[in-house]
Order: sequence, then C-alpha cells, then structure tokens
Amino acid sequence: MVNGYVAASLSEALEIRAAHDVVPYAGGTDLMVENRPNVTYLFLNKVPELKRITVDDEFIRIGAGVTFTEALASPDVPPLMKEAVSRIAAPAIRNAGTFGGNLGNGSAKADSVLIEFVADAKLRLVSKGCERVVDVDKFYLGRKKLDLRSDELIAEILLPKQGLEQYSYEKVGGRNALAISRVSFAGVFGLEDGRITNVAAAFGAVADTVLRYKDLEATLLGKTVEEAKALKADYLRAYAERMTLTRGRVSAEYRKNVCMNLLDAFLTKFGIG
Amino acid sequence: MDKISQSVVKKDHATKISGRSVYVADYPSEGVLCGKLLHAKVARARVVRVEVPELPEGYFYVDAKDVPGDNNVNIVLDDTPVYCRDTVEYIGEPIAMLCGPDEAEVERLRDACRVVYEELEPVLDLRAATETFFDYHYGHGDVDGAFAEADAIYDEEFETGYQEQAYLETQGMMAEPEESGRMFVHGSSQCAYYIHGAVARALGCGPSGVHILQDVTGGGFGGKEAFPSILGCQVAVAARKCGRPVRCVFDRREDMEYTSKRHPSLCRYKVAVKDGRVTAMDIDVVFNAGAYSTLSAVVLQRGIIAAPGVYDVPNLRVHGCARKTNTSPCGAYRGFGAPQTFFAVEMMMDHIARDLGVDSLAFKQAHLVKQGDSTSTCGRYHFPVPLPAMIEEVETACSYREKRAAYAKPQTGRYRRGIGMSLYFHGAGFTGSGERDLIKAVAKLRKYRDGTVEVLASNGDIGQGVRTTFPKIVAHELNLPLDKVFYDHPDTARVPDSGPTVASRSLMIVGELLRRAAIHLREVWVDGEEQEVEERYKEPDFMIPFDITKFDGDAYPTYAWAVNAIELEIDTLTGTSKVLGAYGSFDVGTPVDYNIVLGQMEGGFLQGIGYASIEKMDCDDKGRIRNNSFSDYLIPTTKDVPNLRCMLHVEKYPDGPYGAKGAGELPLVGAPAAYLEAVEQALGGSSLHHAPFTAEDTLAVIAKEGV
Repeated sequence: MVNGYVAASLSEALEIRAAHDVVPYAGGTDLMVENRPNVTYLFLNKVPELKRITVDDEFIRIGAGVTFTEALASPDVPPLMKEAVSRIAAPAIRNAGTFGGNLGNGSAKADSVLIEFVADAKLRLVSKGCERVVDVDKFYLGRKKLDLRSDELIAEILLPKQGLEQYSYEKVGGRNALAISRVSFAGVFGLEDGRITNVAAAFGAVADTVLRYKDLEATLLGKTVEEAKALKADYLRAYAERMTLTRGRVSAEYRKNVCMNLLDAFLTKFGIG
Repeated sequence: MDKISQSVVKKDHATKISGRSVYVADYPSEGVLCGKLLHAKVARARVVRVEVPELPEGYFYVDAKDVPGDNNVNIVLDDTPVYCRDTVEYIGEPIAMLCGPDEAEVERLRDACRVVYEELEPVLDLRAATETFFDYHYGHGDVDGAFAEADAIYDEEFETGYQEQAYLETQGMMAEPEESGRMFVHGSSQCAYYIHGAVARALGCGPSGVHILQDVTGGGFGGKEAFPSILGCQVAVAARKCGRPVRCVFDRREDMEYTSKRHPSLCRYKVAVKDGRVTAMDIDVVFNAGAYSTLSAVVLQRGIIAAPGVYDVPNLRVHGCARKTNTSPCGAYRGFGAPQTFFAVEMMMDHIARDLGVDSLAFKQAHLVKQGDSTSTCGRYHFPVPLPAMIEEVETACSYREKRAAYAKPQTGRYRRGIGMSLYFHGAGFTGSGERDLIKAVAKLRKYRDGTVEVLASNGDIGQGVRTTFPKIVAHELNLPLDKVFYDHPDTARVPDSGPTVASRSLMIVGELLRRAAIHLREVWVDGEEQEVEERYKEPDFMIPFDITKFDGDAYPTYAWAVNAIELEIDTLTGTSKVLGAYGSFDVGTPVDYNIVLGQMEGGFLQGIGYASIEKMDCDDKGRIRNNSFSDYLIPTTKDVPNLRCMLHVEKYPDGPYGAKGAGELPLVGAPAAYLEAVEQALGGSSLHHAPFTAEDTLAVIAKEGV
C-alpha cells in the first residue's frame, strides 16, 4: 500500500507540502527502488508548472518535473546538458527521471547536477506564498543534505543562456548503460580578446558533493593561453593536493588518476597543453 | 539449414512474456510460512549458543537438531551441512531458519537472534590455504626430459576471480507436507533428482517419501545445480517441524554473497620450447573451493583436463587441487572449471609466441590438435577438429590478421586499439564415464488416447529451451505438429531420472534418447490407445573407457569447438575499454533450433566478456563479499558489446540427435583470453596475467609502464 497525495497544480502541491509530512515524488526512479515503509508521498508528475522548459533573457529555465527524455527533445536545452543527460541509465529511466528528482536525491553522482555546478546554475525554490533563488552549490550541502525546507519544492533549474558552448564532458561508469558514475567531469571554457574568461571544472561522484574549486580556477582567469600554459603545472598540482576522494568499491587512487587525466585533457583541448 | 534447425516460437514464450509464468515466489502466500535464514556473520567460529528471542505463536526456529535424517547434504561428498554443525566455516553459513506467517516479523525475529561465537582464525587467502579437498595428477610422455632439452622455458602464473551467475530469479525453494506424509519440495532449480536424493536423506524417509518439482526457473547457469539441494533440505526440514508449507526466497544480496560462484583460480604454467615448438607443459592448477567441497571435484576435473587447451602437447604433467578457504563454497557456473584453464593456456601460448617473435595465431595453429590425435588424457579426438575452418570464418568476419598487424604498430593518441583471438573446446556431456556409471539416464514418452505425446524426463528448462527442443525432436520423428507434443516442468513423482540439467548434456544425451524413443513409438503407434515407451542411455561403442583415478581414456565422447576474436579500444585517460566487435564461430553440431542456439551463443559470449572485464568480486579481510548488489557487481548490457557477431559452424556428431552436441556452456569459455590479448595489444605489448582485467587495472599498467 502506497500512501500519497496527487497534486494537479503547483499551488495545490505547495498546500499539501506545507500541511503534511510528505516526500516529494517526481519520476520515482529512486524512490520506487527504496520502497521506504510508512512514507507519504506527494506525487508531482501531474503538476503542469513543473513540466515546462522556457527561455528568458538570462536563463534557460528547466522545470523540476521535466524528464530527461523531454530535455533531450528540447531545442532549448544546451548540448552540454544533453550530453550528460543522454548517458543517464537507460531509456526507461530517462523517460521517468526528472531534473528535480536528480537534485532532490542529494547524490554527488547525479549526472545533471554536475552540469548545474559547472554552469553556475541557480535553483528556484518555492513554498506557499514564498520563493527564493539559490546557487546550486549553496543548495547542495553534502551527501543527502540539501538546503530545502520541509515546506519547499524545487521548481526550476536556471541555466545561464550564454557561456556553455565550449565544454568537455566525460562520464566514467562501470559499463555503457545503467551505470552509476564512478567519475564524471564537466569543464566549460571561455576566451574573449585573448583572455580566459571562464575555466570552470567540476567533478562528480568523487566526494560528498560535486567538487569545484573556484579559487583554483581564478589562477587562470584573465590570463592568456600562453600565460595559462606556464601556470598549468601549478594548477594541476594544486588540484591534486586539494582533491580528497571518498572511498568506494573502485579505489580512490584510480578515480583520482582519472580526474587528473580528464582535467589535464580539458585544458589541452582548449590550447593549454 | 536442416529442417530441425528452423526456429519455432518457444513453448514458454507466451506465458513468460506476458508475466503469467508462476515462479516459486508467485505461489499464493496464504497458509505458507515465510522462512528466513540466520546466516553466520563471521568467517570461522565455534557457535557457542544462539539466544533466540521469545517466539510468538505460529513462529518457529529450525536448526540442525530438527533434522530428522542426516544433517549432511549429499552433493559429491557429504560435507555440506543442512544447518551448521558446531562451527561455522564462512560468512553466510546457515545456522538456522526462522519461520512464520508474517515476513517482516520473521525478519525481525531473525535479526533479534544473538549468536555467541568463539572466533577461530579463518583462511581467506587461496595462496595461504593448506587444506586440500581434492588433489589430482595426470600426464604422459617424458616431461623432465623435454625440459632438460628445451631451448627456452617459460614460467608464468595466471589468476582468475569469482564470477556470479547473476540469474534474474534468485534462489528460492518451498516445501509442502502432503496429507499422505510425503514431502513435496519445489522451486527454482536445475536438477530435480539431485534435490530428491538430498531431501530424502535429510528427512530420513527413503525416496518414496518425497517428490520434487522444478518450478519455472529464471536462469541457472550452473548456480542452481547444487545449491537448491541445500536450500531444499532446509525448507523440507522446516516444513516437517512446522507442519506447514515453508517457502524461502533469497533476496539479491543474500544470493550474491552466500550462494555458489565460479571458482577463483591460480594456474602456473611451465612450458618447454624446442625449435620453436612447445615440447612439454608442466601445469599446476589451484581452485578456491570455499568452505565446503560441494561440486569442486568435478569442476576441477573438467578444468585440468582442458589445461593444455586445443594443442598437441607431447609431454604433459598436470596437477590440480581444490583448496578449502573460509569463504562461500564455489560451485558450478557455465564452463565448469574450463574457463579458468583455457584463459591460462591461451595467454601462455600468446606470450610464448610474442617472445619468440612469431605471430600468436600462427604459433597456436602450428600446435592444433586434429582428428585422430590423442587428447590430454590419452583418449582420442574421434571426429574432425574444425578449428582451421572456423578461424577463417572469424577472419572473414573481422579481418583479424590485418587488424592484428596494424594494431601491433606503435599507436598514439588517447584511444588505442587491440584485437585478440582464442581457440578452445568444450567437452560435451559429463566428464569421464559419468553418463554410463552414475547417471544412467532414462527417458520416456507417453502417448495419450487423443494422440498427444508427453515427454517424461527430468531436465529442467532454465531458459535454454528444452521445453521446446525436446518436443521438437519428438514431433519431428512422429511427424506431428509441435503443439501435439509437450514437456512440462519435471516432477520426480511422475518422470524418470534422465539426469541433471548440467554439462551441456540435456539435448545431446537426453535429446538423443527421446529421438530414439520417438522412433520406437512410431513403430508401435496404435491410434486411440495410451502407450508408453522408454529409452536408456548406452555409451557409444567408440569410447575409450575413462579411468578417473588415472585420468586416462576419453573424458568426453566429442567436443564443441569455438574461435573468438575481440577487438577493442582502450581509453588511456580513464582505462575504460570499448569493445568494437566480438566475433565468434561456434560449433555445437546441428542446432536443434537456430534462434535458441544463437541466443545461447550471444548470451554466453557476452557473459564471458563480463567475466573478462567488469565482473569483479572479492572478499575483504574479514571474508565478506561486498559486491553484493547489481550496482556494485556489474554485468554487461547489450550497449557494452553492440557489435556481437555469432556464427554457427556445423560439424555433426553422429551420436547426438541430428548431429547436435553440447551447446550451453561453450560460448562463455574463451572470451577472457581473446579480451586480454586485445588489451595487451592496445597497451603496446604488455603481458597480462589476470581476469577480470578492469579499467582500474588498465590505468595501473599505464601508470607503471606508460603507453
């Protein structure tokens, strides 16, 4: 027996969320497997406000209830996000799994969340009569730890419209489908007037949250490619010193080697060889 | 294509695809007690006592004291207890079963049991293990003389790991006391009569006191050869005590951690080479049997008989032993000991060829056995050895030699390619004279008044299609439509013992009995009458009697042959590999159903690639298996080998039905060597010695040796 509420609109969902102790349920691809006893769900898959992909001046706004399959079919979702999403699980899971669920699950292995980190995405969180917009890295506090109040729902992911064109994306799983990431990497690069304007690098599945070191990125920002080349060795060394990987079935040493190889290859791809 | 090979819709297709098949877990729960095993949590200990919580009415605690007959499960030896004796020998060993109507309550009571252990030092490392369950020696020729005269001697060790069968349906058995006092045991299984013998003994009731039904079974791959005998005894003992039906279905973690897997192995090969030819092999094979001997004797026999591979080795010495460790007992898994030794011998031949500076395939071909040659056990290859033609079939499919030469040149860039090839056989049927001396298969046909014919045999359909292929053979001989002949899951109360569903024997041995029975029935057929005919196994006349004490004679009447090539690309940044193509030519004789056989070949080949690459499982320093879920123990998907090409080469076997010979196990056996040879080439000529070879292993080689 599954207990739950089915919301037909966002306002109804927020009423229920405020009034009851419920677990938000979007695609259910994780919750169905968990099959927790004595839980009341709030089913969100029929809430139209959460199912939209829109574009405004600044952001591509992906509704939390948008499935991965829907995102792959959308002309508005940037290629970097599509590449990551296309590698999630298998078609049946992508048909059901959602962006909000991937975030709400609170795992550093979530493939769409990695892209949100590297893109400096924001999240719109809503509650009854209230809403706030937070940076994704402020929202993700640790393993299964989110800055989400018990009356709030994730409404939208706000991806910057510009700046995601030049990227590297790598997913290392144990096999080619239905594979949880062992290491995932996304890098975004920008160059204007010969100066590096963006050199974001994010690592998934290696720590409690997605790893990104903005202070290390800053050492290359504003530099020319030639200057960056000279700084590259120090930059890589700093990453290697900083990154402490969680232990897993696959050794931390292996996964760290992969991270460093992919980071190096990312810079090389954009001329910093 | 022969008419018999033309594909039909499998008899169980509609019920399985529509979800109507009833597996053991699907029987209604009303009146059935749920059984949960209390598993040992330490690898080796004396069990001082078990503090059992107070049991509510209708709940039971069942252990060795409740076994009315013999607490030893008959497998090959009798060392496996139904419920543990005064010690536990591995993590997971069943101490007791808690039974009751409510599953959650049974689990709660089970978890509330406190086992007081007096811990003993466990043996977890195969290299440190000293207790030997089985120890075999055989050979021929003058090995020492050949080594003394050799130009070069090669000495290498190869290691393989566990492999989990990963059948879709976990282990599950159910026992129901009948009003007559007889015990009815049924569930997911391969060998109804093995369970029959074991349960009768545990209950101390004689063979007529029990009967066993194979339920619809969601895959076995060997994993349900011996284990259901143990679980069958446990539920039967529980049902006897409770006086009610008891069902025990494992959850996935329980199944992966505590049930039998493929034996990890260490194989040391010393090879003498003179004038560019192998003159002698001195081979030492060690299998990790786990805590009890179960099937290790026969697994080891098959493994060591295959140890020199498909090569003519004039002087041979083989030593094999199965050692005890305090880990889950290993057992049968598709290939049954041969994947371990074929991996070793194929890698060894490849390494020698490379050292001699000659092409690996040409070197192997120069040593191939042929019809009339002696086998490793001084039997004979009585029938043609089609490997040369099969090599060319694979060559045509993938341009093996051209790619092998191209990838041998220095490569640059992130991705590096390699291709490898393995040549191997699988001995068809039981090893040695088991069919003649132990199994003595009997099969029957019963014709009803309405002209329908029922196959009466004890071989279980575990996905390999015997519910379809047996009737196909009978319908063919009787010239009946296929829907007039049927074969239900065997119940030992009504079918004769045609032997277990193992050793790639069902179709070749029992299928032939049924073919002969059908011819007999055709001759005596009278319309409107109920009639029954019976056939008994007879060993083919050409067989050289096998002496298991000396490993001398024909170990198998014939062989299924295969050539595998695997082409792959290594990502030097991540160590991951992408299989660009897997090509296999398989000779299983005449396919009795083309689609069924091809399905077997594709599935087995993919399973072999998993064994070679990603299927890694091991114990931690406490003896625990941690890779106990499908997210921690990965098996390949179709996306991992999208380009999988299997071809059938038909070398008919005159004593199999229409020329069919053993098929089920063959496709898995050779994949690891082909895969590893390809990885070696992609890594620029590294010498590799273990399988599975994971992405992590690849990156470790790159870190150490560079690329």
